Amino acid sequence: MIKYIIRRLLYLIPVLLGVSFIIFVLFNLVSGDPTAVLLGKNATAKQMAELREQLGLNKPLLDQYFDVVKSAFTFDFGRSWATKQEISQMIIQGAYPSMALTVPAFIISTVLSLIISLVVAFYRGKGIDLFVRFMCIAGVSVSALAYILFFQYFFAYQLGWFEISGFEFGFPDFVPFIALPAIIFILLSLGPDVRFFRTVILDEIYQDYVRTARAKGLSEVIILLKHVLRNALIPIITYVVIQIPSLILGALLLENFFSIPGLGGITLNALNSSDFPVIKAMAILSSVLYIILSLVTDVLYTFADPRVKLK
Amino acid sequence: MKENSLWKDAFKRLIKDKMALASLIVVIVYSLIAILASMGLIASDWAKEVGASNLPPSAEHWFGTDIFGRDVLAKVLHGTQIAMSVGLFTALIAIPIGVILGAVAGYFGGWVDDFITWLYTTFSSIPNIMLLISITMILGKGIFAVYIALGATSWVTLCRLIRGEVMKHKEREYVQAAGAIGGGHFRKLFLHILPNVTHIVIINTSLQFQFAIKSEVILSYLGLGVQGEPSWGTMIDDAKLELARGVWWQLAGATMAMFLVVLAFNLLGDALRDSLDPKLKGK
Amino acid sequence: MTSPLLSVRNLVVDFHTGEGVTRAVNNISFDIPAGKTIGIVGESGSGKSVTSLAVMGLLQKPAARIPQGEILFNGQNLLNYNDAQMRAIRGNQISMIFQEPMTSLNPVFKVGDQIAETIRIHNSVSAKEAWDRAVDLMNQVGIPNPAASAHKYPHEMSGGQKQRVMIAMAIACEPKLLICDEPTTALDVTIQKQVLDLLHGLQQKYNMSMMFITHDLGVIGDIADDVVVMYRSNVVEKNNAKEVFYTAKHPYTKGLLACRPKLGANPRRLLTVSDFMDENGVEKHVSPERVVVFDKDSEAEKSSDILLEVKNLVTQFPIKGGIFGRTVDHFKAVNDVSFTLKKGKTLGLVGESGCGKTTLGRSILRLIEPSSGSIIYNGKDITNVYAEELRLLRRKMQIIFQDPYSSLNPRMTVSEILTEPLNIHNVGNGRKERLDMAKELFEKVGLNASQLNRYPHEFSGGQRQRICIARALMLRPEFVICDESVSALDVSVQAQVLNLLLDLQQEFGLTYVFISHDLSVVNFIADEVGVMNAGKIIEMDKATNIYKNPKEEYTRALLSAIPKGLVKSDLSALV
Repeated sequence: MIKYIIRRLLYLIPVLLGVSFIIFVLFNLVSGDPTAVLLGKNATAKQMAELREQLGLNKPLLDQYFDVVKSAFTFDFGRSWATKQEISQMIIQGAYPSMALTVPAFIISTVLSLIISLVVAFYRGKGIDLFVRFMCIAGVSVSALAYILFFQYFFAYQLGWFEISGFEFGFPDFVPFIALPAIIFILLSLGPDVRFFRTVILDEIYQDYVRTARAKGLSEVIILLKHVLRNALIPIITYVVIQIPSLILGALLLENFFSIPGLGGITLNALNSSDFPVIKAMAILSSVLYIILSLVTDVLYTFADPRVKLK
Repeated sequence: MKENSLWKDAFKRLIKDKMALASLIVVIVYSLIAILASMGLIASDWAKEVGASNLPPSAEHWFGTDIFGRDVLAKVLHGTQIAMSVGLFTALIAIPIGVILGAVAGYFGGWVDDFITWLYTTFSSIPNIMLLISITMILGKGIFAVYIALGATSWVTLCRLIRGEVMKHKEREYVQAAGAIGGGHFRKLFLHILPNVTHIVIINTSLQFQFAIKSEVILSYLGLGVQGEPSWGTMIDDAKLELARGVWWQLAGATMAMFLVVLAFNLLGDALRDSLDPKLKGK
Repeated sequence: MTSPLLSVRNLVVDFHTGEGVTRAVNNISFDIPAGKTIGIVGESGSGKSVTSLAVMGLLQKPAARIPQGEILFNGQNLLNYNDAQMRAIRGNQISMIFQEPMTSLNPVFKVGDQIAETIRIHNSVSAKEAWDRAVDLMNQVGIPNPAASAHKYPHEMSGGQKQRVMIAMAIACEPKLLICDEPTTALDVTIQKQVLDLLHGLQQKYNMSMMFITHDLGVIGDIADDVVVMYRSNVVEKNNAKEVFYTAKHPYTKGLLACRPKLGANPRRLLTVSDFMDENGVEKHVSPERVVVFDKDSEAEKSSDILLEVKNLVTQFPIKGGIFGRTVDHFKAVNDVSFTLKKGKTLGLVGESGCGKTTLGRSILRLIEPSSGSIIYNGKDITNVYAEELRLLRRKMQIIFQDPYSSLNPRMTVSEILTEPLNIHNVGNGRKERLDMAKELFEKVGLNASQLNRYPHEFSGGQRQRICIARALMLRPEFVICDESVSALDVSVQAQVLNLLLDLQQEFGLTYVFISHDLSVVNFIADEVGVMNAGKIIEMDKATNIYKNPKEEYTRALLSAIPKGLVKSDLSALV
């Protein structure tokens, strides 16, 4: 098992190099010379040359590539073009509001989805199953933008139940600010989650070992909660853990609409001001997080699935 | 005498399912609108001022007018063209890359497989939305960048699915039989295995089409998509400010238009899975 | 006479699907007395498994419906029981063992826990007591080192051991009735024998009743008291086992008895069900010329030309290990095999799964590259031929695979499948001529030319295997490897395909290598038999000698594993 984890760990190296390479190609090769944009029309050639030197654009390409790789470990992403702030500082500041919104919402939506899918799997083929299935498909077919606009307009603006926008640091001060976006987040997650969980659970329900469990005299509820769920957990773990990196950015639109100063908001501001280093930093950060979490999934696998240990 | 290929059987099952048939019709209607709009036959005058600003829906302007007095219906129809074209071009980029890389990786194995697996693991390690934002931002805002960005992200799923399926089929005895009668790699892979994994491409494309449409709306909303033309995303962006003034029809028009086609693709994808999946086809 | 433990009365089971209603079980009745073993015999689709699931209350509702009939267990009609009442019966009073041990256990729980679970459902005992009882049960079903094995997960056990775990689970609550649905079909012959002995022993020990479902009458010959024969959803014969074996009344039963190859008998061809009755189930008389016994050994002398010679063949696969997945060792699937095969003759290769017989077959055809040794075909060393030469070789050497379901491309019509080899090798003049050639062979393997444009899924298993045979023969090869080509078929269909292979051998002068795990089949079809174990041919001799005077212990074990129920060579009694 240790061997297995070491092997997975070693495999991360080429993946990390690959990710760095894609980001390097996009931001260092394709994007072109940013100095003109940064300094405006009246910049002199000397100013531009100085800035190039300062941004490290005169370095050999290989060095520039290794700078990208290095930043994946040091989290030293340089300064923002727009605000001149240290990007790593910006990220640390932005992480708090983002997590305050997404972490509770993510946990609630995952648990809720699991419960709903177990219920509909139990009543598979019956009315409630068909209804939930249709609601899920209909739910994911509406643009996330429409949900956010409508909920913000109706519940916050019209009814005044929630804060329309803004954020305050410190618990429980932020609760009224994140309550509505969190509810929307949960609603947005339910559709795809329930669809996936239900499919996975139903795949297991038709396996031979379930027939064996029935032949033992076990009740359907116990078969579902013990035998089926334990097996279905294996794909579910991957699905859930792998979502975490996009959590930072998943709330991108929500943070934007509700003016929450989180990472999503930072990203969108950077987008509007063509602040390349910030976008690049976010791309590296979320990819590194993805890679780490895929390792976490692999480790969780060894607990969820006894068959993995052999490999 | 009846001859029932698996395709014919699947099609029969599909159109028997009323929901799937309705979805298919919706998709066809949207495609027609997109084709007609791109030929300039409908909604070509979306930019024309046809009435007062912000008129609510009426018999004359079914979806009302926007702030510049333009017909919202015409904008929705033009947006259909944009949305469908994004779905189409994404598929045109993703399918060849995904199918060829996936098939080659699954069939040949060895270092070729290692390399391709590394390639798609790398691509999938950058969260989708981040890759979309980065590519569209760097390539410059516009619909072309949206095609490339969505194409670059959506081949990954297809490639992984095709690789797995080809690996499974490679071991089947019918492929070994093709080798035993003297067939080479080309025959085994392209004439025998690929026709047996095509259903994956169809199901996946149907689901990816709706993902592309949804992504285009968000990217356009963020200002990364089409420039100077209406798309569902930019319409929703406009509506953001109008809603407080009670102007809801632009939001409703764009949302409904998108809802219908995305719902249709979702239902169709599910129905295709049911009718094409050989697992359900007895033995 | 006391009332039977289980009594099935006028049972009807229908399946409702989108396409209509299919009757799976049609008004059947039979009894299982206490402490007796009843064999239920029939081919796939005859309704035997559906019957057992009906008794267990495990039919998939709402598709399956029981419009009529009673299932009386201890005088109580189980069909009137509600879910909770049925659960109290299942696993406790009536338990069941399934065909597929590989998938029937939950992969994420320890086997000890899975057995203990059954005990705890039906008895109020502590976890510790249940576990200890589970270990004891594993000991009873002959799992070595039960205390340690109970901590294993299913994937850490062999197929035979898993089936033993299933049996332990089934007898955990000392049920009155044990239902076994083809429990040995997926297992090797020697393991099959052990499992049968185990089941029989347990049945005696606990004085259980047993309902044993199988497609092969031979399997239950030793253990069944009574036999119920099912054919097309109906019970066509039920009687005391001896009566069924010696004085079968229904032509279908007679056919089933006759179609299984028997050691010691040397018929030219096997009798099949169709020799005893026509398509409508009307009995007909077996024509005497169908029952010809011949002397293989004297026939064997006639041929002398050597077609194939295999010398010291080794095929090995790398074993990967370590953190970087490097090759650390080699596994020799075929280990130093040599033999010669004369033109027009059949070499049988017999052995259990994993013995290397399939790898050997594919290595001879160069579908898998051998590592060393040589293959000499028609006097020419073909071990190192490539490209065009290898392609030409494919015209001479062909193979018929095991699984009739996966060996035909489901997206091609039969005519496309059959003409493909002609297209590859550019045989025949144009499409029309190729189609005619396909049609000719298609009819030769006993199929109707009007079905040439159909797709494989529209044919039955036996028909598909005929299509595979036709494809292999399209290029008119001289040499054909049959790799377990009849193993996936029901015994009745198996006999028809074996006959076909023999007829074709005569007509086209074919030379066969016939690979099988079933000694009786190999003994029937082959002139010479090689017994394989762990990659080597450990014993090779004329077919008749192998079973008369086996030299190796392993061969004797294989022979004794063949079910004895039907060692009755006097076929004339049936005619």
